[in-house]
Amino acid sequence: MDILQIENVTKRYSAHTALSDVSLAVPEGSIYGLLGPNGAGKSTLIRVVNRITLPDAGRVLFQGKPITDEDIYRIGYLPEERGLYKKMKVGEQAIFFARLKGLSRREAIARLKTWFIRFGIEDWWNRKVEDLSKGMAQKVQFITTVLHEPKLLIFDEPFSGFDPINANLLKQEILRLRDEGATVIFSTHNMASVEEICDHITLINKSRNILSGSTDEVRRRFGENIFEVVFEGATERLRDGLKPYVEVLDEAAVADSSLNQMRIRLNDGVSLRESIAAANEAVELRSFREVIPSMNDIFIKAVEGKL
Amino acid sequence: MNKIGIIIGREFNERVRKKSFIITTILMPLLMIGLMAAPTLMMLFAKGDTKTFVVLDESGVIAPKLSGDKEVIFSTEDCTLEQARAKEDIFGVLWIGADIVDNPTSAKLYTNSSSSMSLESNIASQMERIIEQERLKRYEIDNLEQIIEDVKANVTLTTYRNDLQEEGKEEEATSSGVAYLLGLVLGMMLYMFLLIYGSMVMTSVIEEKGSRVLDVLVSSVKPFELMLGKILGVASVAVTQIAIWAVLVCGLSAAVLPSLMPEDMMQTVAAVEAGTITSAQAGIDADMLSAVALATDPVRLVMMFVWLMLFLVGGFLFYSAMFAAVGSAVDSIQDANQLQTPITIPIILALILAMSVFNDPDSALAFWGSVIPFTSPVVMMARIPFGIPTWQIVLSLVVLYISVAGMAWVAGKIYRVGVFMHGKKPSLKELLMWIKQ
Repeated sequence: MDILQIENVTKRYSAHTALSDVSLAVPEGSIYGLLGPNGAGKSTLIRVVNRITLPDAGRVLFQGKPITDEDIYRIGYLPEERGLYKKMKVGEQAIFFARLKGLSRREAIARLKTWFIRFGIEDWWNRKVEDLSKGMAQKVQFITTVLHEPKLLIFDEPFSGFDPINANLLKQEILRLRDEGATVIFSTHNMASVEEICDHITLINKSRNILSGSTDEVRRRFGENIFEVVFEGATERLRDGLKPYVEVLDEAAVADSSLNQMRIRLNDGVSLRESIAAANEAVELRSFREVIPSMNDIFIKAVEGKL
Repeated sequence: MNKIGIIIGREFNERVRKKSFIITTILMPLLMIGLMAAPTLMMLFAKGDTKTFVVLDESGVIAPKLSGDKEVIFSTEDCTLEQARAKEDIFGVLWIGADIVDNPTSAKLYTNSSSSMSLESNIASQMERIIEQERLKRYEIDNLEQIIEDVKANVTLTTYRNDLQEEGKEEEATSSGVAYLLGLVLGMMLYMFLLIYGSMVMTSVIEEKGSRVLDVLVSSVKPFELMLGKILGVASVAVTQIAIWAVLVCGLSAAVLPSLMPEDMMQTVAAVEAGTITSAQAGIDADMLSAVALATDPVRLVMMFVWLMLFLVGGFLFYSAMFAAVGSAVDSIQDANQLQTPITIPIILALILAMSVFNDPDSALAFWGSVIPFTSPVVMMARIPFGIPTWQIVLSLVVLYISVAGMAWVAGKIYRVGVFMHGKKPSLKELLMWIKQ
């Protein structure tokens, strides 16, 4: 079941097109990554989903029905730029936002206490937001976004402004939210986080959806029949033995051992079984595994148009 | 509705707790009481040092008839002008020429320090009177002084209002002088409140937009509710401030002023209020009496504050809706300056109209100025102290509050589009387009 469907959404501004005919579906209970270079249209898409921006064409469905204001009021939205009242104290501010999302004051305080302890920020309660660093404010904003336990969470660049330790903390929290049943959509250019936590991704470039799918599937799809062979024996023997089947990309000795390794690409029409058999004939194999490209590689390739 | 309540609560709490709010709220009434009590206190305590003049009268007719008082003493001495001018223990020398009766300009005043206008006019008027008497003598008519004394008349008007008359009681109208002063203060107050609290709304909308708090807020609340909540929140702050002032001013003036006033004056005021005597009969300055009567009458003060409150809230809602719309359309306060001109001009115009009201509170200009909602809060507040028919006040309020609803609708349209627009500052024309959308 898809909790959110975006169908053929187009948004034009006077000078440029921010989104052209973008469609995607977010499965319920997944962590969905929106990737893309700066200015690709990720934030616009998020703002369209939130009904902050109205699309020129296309529609957004929430649980199968066109999304309404009431739906928006139930989701949790973390905007890219931090939206907190600077002069207000952290605690009061968090209670204010929680009450707007329908929590009672008492309930809000109880939940906030738990979250503040979890993030180790109990003693910020009476500090003004203007006295916090960007990362600190980010933590507070994250808490206010998730406090009312929404089914759908939308984070715009949640990792920006975080040090690695806090980014990791945030990742754990996002995973935990998913495990508790929430669906999380977030935009990022932090590829490491995508590989670690995203179940699905969509890559947006120059206002278009150029790639969608589950993370594993996408990476396999971009596998280019490249394999890494680790073996014992002479490199020449393996090279000769595999000659009819593969193109050798590079060779090296494995450090601190008598082993060698070689990266190969299967020629078109060659089966993997044949190649492995040939390699097995030639040398003593230790491992033979497919090299799956990192999201980072896919991202750069896709954006640079080398698909 | 519940969400609007939460927003109002936040606006109210954040503002009321500010130091600046607490300070102005406490200081202003003290200032107002001070202003109200100032004329009385000045009358009671304004006494200068006694000044001594040496009079050198070459004509010999003026000096014997000059009379001194608390302020000034005249002494005649037998010395030359130079000797008199050299004296340092006196305030000055009055030299009068021999032909003074025929030539009133041949008089000179030498002073050792700066003299005052009241002192000079005192001396001049005494001399005029003496010279007039001297000249009259030349006609050699018997009992001329007596005749002139008989001819003199001194008119004091006591004003009554037919239209405001209560059953069985002649109510003496508030004197025009006091009405003028009160109208000025009330009109100015409205003017300042509209501008200060209105731009407060605008600034706060711009801040919310700039800090992107709005993006978070609109994922919880409708933009219109947000605007309404903010305006009502700030309005509740203004009402709180006025209410505190009303209590302080009424309480203080009722409790403190009577004890500051001389006993007999309070009795006279009470008598005039009761309608047993007129202010003219009481022999007190009508303005003075009127002011004291008003300042020490809690009922009239409270009534004044009730009108003030109604016009303040109505005017504020009307104008702050426009201020909110402008705030939503721009990204910075600098950008707002140009767009807010169409709002500030009517407010300033209202103040100018209010000034013209003082010449004729019942003119057509004054009437329409106090009905049209752009100027009515300020102009009407300036008119009310003159005593105008209640139906006019009610009409003005009805028109104002209906216009508030209309203005909120229009502003809501602009606000809904404006808060999500970043970048280029929209023109007035574009704002009109947003309304039509």
